[in-house]
Amino acid sequence: MVARQLTALMVVLALGAGAAATLIGGGADTDADESSTLRASYADSDGDGVLERAPAEALLDRTELSPAVRPGRTLALLAQITDAHVRDEESPARATLLDRLGAPFTSTFRPQEALSAQTLAASVAAVERLDPDATLVTGDLIDSAQANELDQALAALEGGRVDPDSGAPGYDGPQDADSADPFLYRPDVDAPRHPGLLERAQRPFTAPGLTSPWYPTIGNHDLLVQGEAAPAPQLARLAVGARAPAELDPGLRPQGDLDDVGDVPLGRLLDRALAGPTRALAPDPRRRHLTSSELLERLRAATGVGSAGGRLDYAFDVGAQLRVIVLDLTRRDGGSRGRVAPGQPGWLEHQLDRAGERWVLVASHQPIAGSSGGARILDALDRAPRVVAALSGHTHESSVEPRRSPTGGYWLIGTPSLADYPQQARALRLRETDGGGVVLETWMLDTVPGGPADVSRDLAFLDAQGGRPQGERGAPEDRNVRLYRSPPPAARETP
Amino acid sequence: MPAGLREALARLRARRGRSLVAALGIAAAATMIGTAVTLSFGLATGAERAAERSDLPDVTARFEPRTRAQLDERVGALANVEDRSYRFEIEDVELSSDGGSSREGVVQLIPRGRRGYAVVAGRDLSGRPGEVVVERGVAREWELEPGDSLSVARLGSVRVVGVALSADDVAFPLAANPRVYLPEELVPAGFRARGRSVNLVLLWARDPARLDSLLVQARAVSFGLEDLRFATREGVRALVDQVSGIVIALLIAFSLVALGAAGVMLGASARADVQRRLESIGVMRAIGASRTRVAARYAADAALLALPAGALGVTAGTLVAAPPGERLLEILNELAPGTALVGPLAVALAGIVALVVAATAWPAWRAASLPPAEILRGAEVRHAPRRAPTPSGPFGLGLRLALATRGRTLATALVVGAATAVVLLMLALASFLGRLADDPGVVGKRYQLTATLPADRTGEVERIPGVAAAAPRLVVDGVNSFELGQPVRLVGYPGDHTAFEAPPLAGGRRVEGLGEAEVGQGLADTLGVRLGSTLAVQLPTGEEVRYRVVGVVRTIDREGRVAFVRSDDALARAGDDPELAVRLDPGVDRDTVERALGALGARVAPVGPTGSDDQAFLSVLAGVLRVVAGVNGLICLYVLVQALAVLATERRRTIAVLRAGGAPRGTVALVLLGTATLILVLAAPAGILAERFLLGPAAARLAAGYASLPLGASAAQIATVVIGLGLIAAAAAAWTARRTERDSVAAALREG
Amino acid sequence: MEEVLQPLVAAHGLVRTFGAGPGSRRVLDGADLQVEPGEMVALLGRSGSGKSTLLNLVGGIDRPDGGTVEVAGLRLDRLSERELTRFRARHVGFVFQFFHLIPELTGEENVLLAARLTGGEPERRGRELLRRLELNGAAGRLPHTLSGGEQQRIAIARALVNEPSLVLADEPTGNLDPAAGRAVLEILRGIARGGRAVIMATHDREAAALADRTVAVVDGRLQACPPG
Repeated sequence: MVARQLTALMVVLALGAGAAATLIGGGADTDADESSTLRASYADSDGDGVLERAPAEALLDRTELSPAVRPGRTLALLAQITDAHVRDEESPARATLLDRLGAPFTSTFRPQEALSAQTLAASVAAVERLDPDATLVTGDLIDSAQANELDQALAALEGGRVDPDSGAPGYDGPQDADSADPFLYRPDVDAPRHPGLLERAQRPFTAPGLTSPWYPTIGNHDLLVQGEAAPAPQLARLAVGARAPAELDPGLRPQGDLDDVGDVPLGRLLDRALAGPTRALAPDPRRRHLTSSELLERLRAATGVGSAGGRLDYAFDVGAQLRVIVLDLTRRDGGSRGRVAPGQPGWLEHQLDRAGERWVLVASHQPIAGSSGGARILDALDRAPRVVAALSGHTHESSVEPRRSPTGGYWLIGTPSLADYPQQARALRLRETDGGGVVLETWMLDTVPGGPADVSRDLAFLDAQGGRPQGERGAPEDRNVRLYRSPPPAARETP
Repeated sequence: MPAGLREALARLRARRGRSLVAALGIAAAATMIGTAVTLSFGLATGAERAAERSDLPDVTARFEPRTRAQLDERVGALANVEDRSYRFEIEDVELSSDGGSSREGVVQLIPRGRRGYAVVAGRDLSGRPGEVVVERGVAREWELEPGDSLSVARLGSVRVVGVALSADDVAFPLAANPRVYLPEELVPAGFRARGRSVNLVLLWARDPARLDSLLVQARAVSFGLEDLRFATREGVRALVDQVSGIVIALLIAFSLVALGAAGVMLGASARADVQRRLESIGVMRAIGASRTRVAARYAADAALLALPAGALGVTAGTLVAAPPGERLLEILNELAPGTALVGPLAVALAGIVALVVAATAWPAWRAASLPPAEILRGAEVRHAPRRAPTPSGPFGLGLRLALATRGRTLATALVVGAATAVVLLMLALASFLGRLADDPGVVGKRYQLTATLPADRTGEVERIPGVAAAAPRLVVDGVNSFELGQPVRLVGYPGDHTAFEAPPLAGGRRVEGLGEAEVGQGLADTLGVRLGSTLAVQLPTGEEVRYRVVGVVRTIDREGRVAFVRSDDALARAGDDPELAVRLDPGVDRDTVERALGALGARVAPVGPTGSDDQAFLSVLAGVLRVVAGVNGLICLYVLVQALAVLATERRRTIAVLRAGGAPRGTVALVLLGTATLILVLAAPAGILAERFLLGPAAARLAAGYASLPLGASAAQIATVVIGLGLIAAAAAAWTARRTERDSVAAALREG
Repeated sequence: MEEVLQPLVAAHGLVRTFGAGPGSRRVLDGADLQVEPGEMVALLGRSGSGKSTLLNLVGGIDRPDGGTVEVAGLRLDRLSERELTRFRARHVGFVFQFFHLIPELTGEENVLLAARLTGGEPERRGRELLRRLELNGAAGRLPHTLSGGEQQRIAIARALVNEPSLVLADEPTGNLDPAAGRAVLEILRGIARGGRAVIMATHDREAAALADRTVAVVDGRLQACPPG
């Protein structure tokens, strides 16, 4: 009798200990699980507007270019973070009020914008758990070419103290509880309520940073004010000034289509807005706009890449089998659409030749296909024998398209942003397959849960102008996939 | 039939008269309870039932017409939307039928898909030409049935195929516009505005608990939609409640009070009955029955009586209350509970039976606790009497008899006091409603007329003889910004508004400048707004205005969802045609001033203080309340008669001795009058005070919890009630004395 | 020459039945009784024999099923209830075995309550009576504080206060100790000597011996008892 009771007690204790151990100690292994969508994902299965944990998404085979072959040795493990849009939401040089006019201004305000730095840090943490060989940051790292935005972003990537605040201490911006504007989400009063969120978002925090090397790409938002306007004196004065527009110009109310408003340069729009009622705020010199050379200088200082010239075109190797070529398609004179610079196709072909037997990945901010002059780049890639994929961001949309070419074809991969839902980064693993081909396994990485990035994700999901209604999450075949690529024709001929 | 049941029936039959009287008493109380339950349950659950049945959308948005594509772009971007319906609503359509017509009809063009209404007669639209579905209020008012024809302007004659209940507003004619539904596809393009075919969107949320989140997003995408108004289920509820407002709440308050009084009365009458049967209790105990058995037998007798009597009464109460209750619900566009009533009524019946059984078993148990010999001897007094300083003579004897049974006297006084309080409350309510219909000054409004004239003609109006003051009064119905869908009425004056409207201040101070607001208590409660916090209202123009809350007032207008502010530009832009509030000098003939205002070119309207314009309704209700007061008076009579009858039975020997000594009926009546007087001396002041300090304020709070209504009974009413009580006492005493004469003196004196 | 006075009480052929059907009892079956003023008559019989019933019929607090009763020249069977009540007030005084004083009233108040039924200075009459019966001490006290004898004497005062011509006493000594009982009987005799008629129902032979004559109730009829 006593023996039985003792045994029962020991069983209970053992179970309890086991459970405790799982909860506490098992965390280390499960951490990686939490952000990789190969383990679990987020979805709104009941359609009530709230994201919940959902089952994992297994890798799907994409065999448009090559039949499925058994994967073998891993050649390289990469991560791609894109379109973080680290934003100084309190800056006066922003056209926040235009957001309600709809497209093309919907990116001027996001309900979760105060948490951009924290979201980037959480994505970096997810990438860290992946432990890749290298990380590609494919552009739009910052939102409006401001120096303090770059400070925050670099601190998040490199590790160290991130200070999201600007201007006067605390939050002083359009989402304030006292704000009269009913069209901007105010976390203190509008549902879903998050009292104190804005104040918490301004607090400095320490980011662990990436331990693997990371490689930047220039996006339009990195150099242009709000991704559209080249920095100009009036905008520069606005940025470091003490006044911000407080009301939308009544003349700007849309009568029907907004094409006519969209064509007006941003500077002129902001001028008109400033002519109306303004509010005072504390000026901050750190809000000045970066020049192109300044940006390149700082990126080089952080990562060691970039030539002395004005463009950030470069290439690097990952291991012995992979070469990554980075293209800078951003206009310097304004406009968000990509543009191929005159010398770029030639430079690219040169790089492709030098790649030799290595497999090639191309990375750019804007998708090559939609960029002005992109056809010539694609042409060059079509002819190259060992291009596996062209990675890009900019669209904020997850997409995987096959591009057929005489040499076996390659994949055009678009990665969603951290700014909008789904707030995911991409993991890419290149593996060789039997017969000399390769398979590029890619899956999405959510931001690491358990921090302000969770609120950011929830708000991003609700955003009616954001990634959910635009379908930026993509279809399953755009997300976790195995992209097969057969060996180039020349290799096939060899016995 | 089991032996016990047979015996119980035999016992009841043996005392047929008494049983009948008791049964009638139970039935009467049960009737009151049945009425109260029917009315309260119906009113409390009607709106929700109607919303469920008619599949009321969670959000309804109206705006200036847009194309379907433009709407879909915005609505499609919202999360948590289960379903949507895009419609076109046309106002000011001329509708006419044999039973009625209107120039202000509203036609809603219904596409395929979710309806948002429930077809309660006939069938739904089928898509075939020439069909129309009319709203239930219209069908009732114009006596339309499926098969009748209706003439719709520009469409000609269409056939009514169905009647629909849509719970998003009150029913016509309480709502100003009759509404009909036509199929979208078959309406000629002439009815629509050049391709922009949507001005109304119905949204059903997947998770209604997260509705406020949905509304925030909806507002974020609604920029550019002009004249945007949101309505939510909760907001609709508020709207529907507003219109009937005080009337419904008072009915519910009365029901609760009546329930309480009925319960107390039932208990007392059951106890009185046990007192009458002390003799048989003594016999039972003498032959060896246990206390429990005695009590159980009385409980069984009581249950046997209470069950059918109670069932009859409850049913009668339901039948009496159902037609007016249903009519009321129809007006409010709510649904009657129907069979759902069975549950609460069964519970009420069980409660009545339980109360009667408990009330019977307990005194029986107590009586059985005495030694049997004492009971049989009919020990009249339990405890030794004490000297009492009352006048001698029969009246004084009556007083002393009442004092001798302190417990019962107090209990009876309690019941009579409660009934008195209810009577006073009913009278106060009736006169209040009467005054409400006539004099707006009752609830804080100090102006009597409104005149539609621009503000710059204020001086002209003030110069009219008889006009004390005039000021432009801006009224804007907006929606609270933070919790969308909650209607807020802004009332703006250019200066001090207290000269025209002065609802009593519950806290803070009056508005002294721009940007400040006095909010009604209802608004403060709903929005959690405190003194010093910000009130943000979205105006129909899309602008948002903000005020700092400096005062909280008690007003029943719009159930307290009102804010008084100084008029500013934003308000002026959003307001309708300005009107002047006109305050008249006291005693001035209203018609003269109205004519003078008409001569200036104004449209004049008298002021209605409540949301309901139905004055006839109010006076009918006042009449009903007075009848209820009368019924309560009868209850007082019944209770007093009961109490005196118990006394006569208990003190049978005393009365017999008096009669043996040659005391005429009058002397006996005088004794009973003494007893009744003591009861009344306790009951009347208690009842008066209870009404003034408990019931009146409680009813006012229940009714219009955000306003202080003057619901104390007037001195005249109190005097009337006191005199009435006196008459009742005299009548009860006389009647009981008369009944004692039937008792044989010798039998009463018989010694054991 | 002796004046032949009309009997105060003249009852002929009184029949009184209690109950109905097979359980009924004919308590009085043709009883006759005559009582003169100044006479004290004792009704002797066991309990349940009908003597109380006879008293009740004579006193007008019960109606016979057959026969007639005439008291003080009034035919009781012809009187309405109201008239009977008035008759009792003027002509009859009751004294009961259990006194039946109203417990909430003092002795004096009990007497005065009865006195007020007829006019003519009820307070004076009442107090005078109480004094004569030596009840001054008991007058101001409540009945439950009085001895049995005092209570019965208060009851007698109550019975006498309206100067009735007939006093009906139902077992007046039944609840008293012998001494008090004798005192009460003496008072009753004194009442009879004073010119009133007294009919006393009792089962006590010794008490009956004090009366002028004794009548026994046997089988619902009255039989004269020989003195002794």
